[in-house]
Amino acid sequence: MPAISVKDLCKSYGELHAVDSVSFRVERGEVFALLGPNGAGKTTTIEILEGFLARDGGDVQVLGVDPGHRRQQRWLRTRIGVVLQELAVEPFFTVRQVLERNSGFYPAPRPVEEVIELVGLSEKAGTKIKRLSGGQQRRLDIGLGIIGNPELLFLDEPTTGLDPAARRTTWDLIRTLASDGTTVVLSSHYMDEVEALAQGVAVLARGRIVAAGSPSSIGGRDRGQVTIRFTLPDDVGPADLPVSPSHLDGNVVEITTNDELVVLARLVNWALEGRRALPGLSVTRVTLEDVYLDLTRPIHDGLAQ
Amino acid sequence: MAWRSKAVSQPQSTETSSRAGLGDVRLVAHQVRYEQLAFWLNRVGAIFTVGFSVVFLVLLGASASNSRISFMGNIKLIDYYVPGFVAYGVMSACFTTLATTLVVRRETGLLKRLRLSPLPTWVLLTSIFVSTMIVVLVQVVLLLIIGRFGYAVHFPQEWAAFVVVLVVGIVSFSAMGVAMSTAVPNQESAGPVTSIVFFVLLFLSGLWFPLKPTSGLAKFSNYFPIHHFILAVAAPFDFQAGVSPWAWHDLLIVAIWGGGATVVALRRFRWTPRRS
Repeated sequence: MPAISVKDLCKSYGELHAVDSVSFRVERGEVFALLGPNGAGKTTTIEILEGFLARDGGDVQVLGVDPGHRRQQRWLRTRIGVVLQELAVEPFFTVRQVLERNSGFYPAPRPVEEVIELVGLSEKAGTKIKRLSGGQQRRLDIGLGIIGNPELLFLDEPTTGLDPAARRTTWDLIRTLASDGTTVVLSSHYMDEVEALAQGVAVLARGRIVAAGSPSSIGGRDRGQVTIRFTLPDDVGPADLPVSPSHLDGNVVEITTNDELVVLARLVNWALEGRRALPGLSVTRVTLEDVYLDLTRPIHDGLAQ
Repeated sequence: MAWRSKAVSQPQSTETSSRAGLGDVRLVAHQVRYEQLAFWLNRVGAIFTVGFSVVFLVLLGASASNSRISFMGNIKLIDYYVPGFVAYGVMSACFTTLATTLVVRRETGLLKRLRLSPLPTWVLLTSIFVSTMIVVLVQVVLLLIIGRFGYAVHFPQEWAAFVVVLVVGIVSFSAMGVAMSTAVPNQESAGPVTSIVFFVLLFLSGLWFPLKPTSGLAKFSNYFPIHHFILAVAAPFDFQAGVSPWAWHDLLIVAIWGGGATVVALRRFRWTPRRS
């Protein structure tokens, strides 16, 4: 039984098809990412999986039950953890107080001290929440998401608004949870986050899944073209190169090719023979960001030009 | 650190998961405890709610000395202030504090998060209500004691009527508080908006200066529940000869407002922030 299976999920707000025939599966123990721009339908999809929103159509199973089924909801909510986009924490409680309160909601919670340590707030356990930094509040938020020892954790844009150090700490925390066997579903619009954390990714745009797979293969990343970049040596012009550049930006040469080994061999031989350097030489596949931007480009972009 | 293994669980039968058992009663107690903690830890809110009524009563009692109200059977002014501030305490806890708390919780996502926890909605609402009752009770006891031992104002003569008035008031003004919260768009304006509405109506309803029944202001405030609630709380004290301790008419108007507010609250209540 997968942790989540979604088939032909639909949800409309009036005329707007917020989620339009979306299907995907999340296996147990997997970190799965829903990637997409704002308004793509990520939050709507997650809120349907959490049982917070009712769907208009399609089959949804979360941990083997239908989250839209009212009688199952309370059971389901003891098994899932939810971290929302909003920093939803009471200002006057201490870290320990709010965790103790929420642990009382669950039949088999994680020990409070264990959660405090796990989210790295041991030194702040007795501090009032209003005195925590944004990153610390976010980590407490995740702590509240895992206090019930969930099998499945939903993280809605877990690092939006965090500084780079706090983002790394949050990533480490998510990895720790995943290695413990917790299934994690996260939404994000950060490519690096998805690449660092997720085994599976679905890209949503305008309510539809436009690509799905692993972060390294999605959108043909593992097959497609390679870009070779270097700075033109001082004494040569673009015409002197053994391979003609696809693109020239100042003195930075870009060569895009499907046959990177041949192109590289010719370049390197040419450079060695002429005792030249190729400063800043780099070879890159299409980045996930390129694929993402390409997939989620609004339709009207093409028409406007 | 050894993690507990993630056993693949099976959903319980619907019968077990929907039954309200002893566990739920314990859950209410658990949640009430933290509702109380949240109330008292918010010092400013607690002082405004509880401290205000006590301080007002002490100050007004000291300044009233032996003034009497000619149009209310010549009762002493302080005899009017004690039930007046009991009414204030109920309204402040149920209307202002509840409305503000709900707006802040809604807009910061706390309500949504609680909705997504296994805490059943009825447990949450019951806990908020019980917690509000505790705050009211603390105030009522304080005010009655200050009145009795500071200013020789006797306790209510008809306790049953007093309790009924308090219950009707708590329920009705709580409904008005919830309804009010649905009209406030964001947390920044929650405190100011509810306080202004409340204090203007309090003033016009004669909490500080009792209204002559024939005055234009009395006719105006007769449409609102506050004036009637003050009179309903005052009645069981039995200060005026010939006035029944059961102020049914006043109580009915409070209840009508409560009923209307309940309809508004049920139709307009939301769990999610308005700004998103």
